[in-house]
Amino acid sequence: MSGVSPEQVLFAVFALAIMVSSAGVIFARNAIASAMSLVACFFFLAGVYVLLWAHTVAALQVLVYAGAIMVLFLFVIMLLTTSSDGPSMSFSVSRVAGSAAIVAMFGALTSVFVKLPAPSYGWTRDADAVATFGTIAKVGEVLYTRWLFPFEAVSLLLLVAILGAVVVAKARV
Amino acid sequence: MNRLLVVAFSLGLIVGSLFLVMAAAYGVGGWVENNLFTGASFITNILVLMLAIVMIIATLLTIAERKWSAWMQDRIGPNRARLPIPGLSNNSLAGIPHIITDVFKMLTKEAFTPKSASKFLFNLAPILAFAPVFALFAIVPAGPTVTVMGKQIMMVSANPDFGLLYLFAIASLAVYGASLAGWASNNKFALLGGVRASSQMISYEVALGLSLVGMMIAFGTVKLAGDTGMSAMQAGYLWNTTILGVDVGVPQWGFLLQPIGFLLFFAAAFAETKRAPFDTPEGESEIVGYFLEYSGMQFGMFMIAEFVEVVVLAGVLVAIFFGGWSLPFGNQWLTNLPVMKANGWLLGAILGTVFWIKVILLIYLQLVVRWTFPRFRYDQVQKLGWQILLPAGLINLFVSGALILQDPSLKLLAFFGLAEIGVFAFLTVTPAAQVRREAEHAAHGGGHGHGHGGHGAHDDHGHAALPATAATTTLAASVAAGSHTH
Repeated sequence: MSGVSPEQVLFAVFALAIMVSSAGVIFARNAIASAMSLVACFFFLAGVYVLLWAHTVAALQVLVYAGAIMVLFLFVIMLLTTSSDGPSMSFSVSRVAGSAAIVAMFGALTSVFVKLPAPSYGWTRDADAVATFGTIAKVGEVLYTRWLFPFEAVSLLLLVAILGAVVVAKARV
Repeated sequence: MNRLLVVAFSLGLIVGSLFLVMAAAYGVGGWVENNLFTGASFITNILVLMLAIVMIIATLLTIAERKWSAWMQDRIGPNRARLPIPGLSNNSLAGIPHIITDVFKMLTKEAFTPKSASKFLFNLAPILAFAPVFALFAIVPAGPTVTVMGKQIMMVSANPDFGLLYLFAIASLAVYGASLAGWASNNKFALLGGVRASSQMISYEVALGLSLVGMMIAFGTVKLAGDTGMSAMQAGYLWNTTILGVDVGVPQWGFLLQPIGFLLFFAAAFAETKRAPFDTPEGESEIVGYFLEYSGMQFGMFMIAEFVEVVVLAGVLVAIFFGGWSLPFGNQWLTNLPVMKANGWLLGAILGTVFWIKVILLIYLQLVVRWTFPRFRYDQVQKLGWQILLPAGLINLFVSGALILQDPSLKLLAFFGLAEIGVFAFLTVTPAAQVRREAEHAAHGGGHGHGHGGHGAHDDHGHAALPATAATTTLAASVAAGSHTH
């Protein structure tokens, strides 16, 4: 156990769980099973956020993504899907090219992340630095002072998207 | 006389056992803090509060619901099971032995899986229904922070910085159990129940969050436990004086500050428990419900999850709107008594008992609502959520925000809240036009209406005399009115 902190063990567990569940999202034949894998993936991602001292973001991740958005996804899938089996695997030029692009992207990201400098403080050691970091007070303060304009701009963007959805749906109903 | 003795003994038993359990919780918490490690009392609180008290109250609710509904319908309720205890073998013990028979029935029945069901999701759904609901109670403080054996003991299982966000996050996961159960059963009626559960949850989640924002602004926190948490803040007074050394006054309780917030939260959270009048996902008279294909203990998980949710909702309501563990008067007097200063556990156990008594009263309120209202029709549920609760929550938020900005001492907000309660009370005591017409009709028609008097159980004239809060009645009435116009 020399040199391995509990955080690293937890990170390994969460990372493995994220990989397994995101593989489940892609490979599950059934749309509901795929959506539930995505819920599990979001949940484990929230665990990684906690390890990064972003508690509030972790809670919001579960609340917004695993809770609200995926419930809506599940609702739509249950309402619209008729067959429980998805399309079967087939190979075409575009799919092979897409896979190659994904592998290349993964390789590029890996080569960048390996070169990133290690953080100067440990995950639990610097108690003063992390005492207020990631708390709801701090996140709220930063959100409503420094990042107020982007925050409001995103809200406006979402409002436009909602209005667009209503217009598109109303034309058909 | 004999009956009075039995009632007094039962009340004493309930209050006494709550007191003893809370005293033990503080004692054990102090012991493990001293002998194991700092923070160990949070783990023993999980055991005592969540595993012992919440689960035992939820189990007792299975019989309480049948007994209380029997009272309301002028029946006796289950009373046939007996325990072979010497001297009590011919006593129904208020029907409590029925719990044992129920548990054995569920455990020994086959947990049947339909042939064409999706096996993994079918078995996962009861777990997903129960686990989030059970975890919800973690942030609800059941007692004050007191010093026991030289250590500060917080009577809560977890006190995260993001407080109520935890509640919303975990509560939003609870619907997966219902919708997956409906889908995985491969049954059309169960699927309908699951889809109804998801859509109901989507329409109520926004109002649920919005209704509590007023309280968050008023107390400037999202935490429930701790010195700056909502429960501790509500121990203060808006206006107070001292009579014979005892402090009395108007306490700073949430439902006085935010009556509309309370009603909105209660309605939205009630919809999330999926109990009548919001039981369209279950709808036992039309589609049986999302758990149609479940049997044995797998069905039992859905049932106990519902009862645990009732207890948790009562606990959350007490912690946010009904003063948490504080008494309506005499808090400072009690805290400053020499015997309480010397024995922190005694103060904690007394106030903890106060908390659980309030919880039991709110559970009773929920059961009364459940057995009083008829089920909302599906479109009425949607209308109530989107067209009434959500706009009302937004208006309440803006008005409360303005009042708090005007007067940070909350007195203005409290005046406004008391005025709202006055309006509700006036609407409640004023009979609806339909009731007035029927009363006039009965007065003119002489003995015409008396034939109804003898019924009780399945009489459907209960519509006219809903003994509920005016706001809920008016909400229901306006939903009905809204649906007529289309």
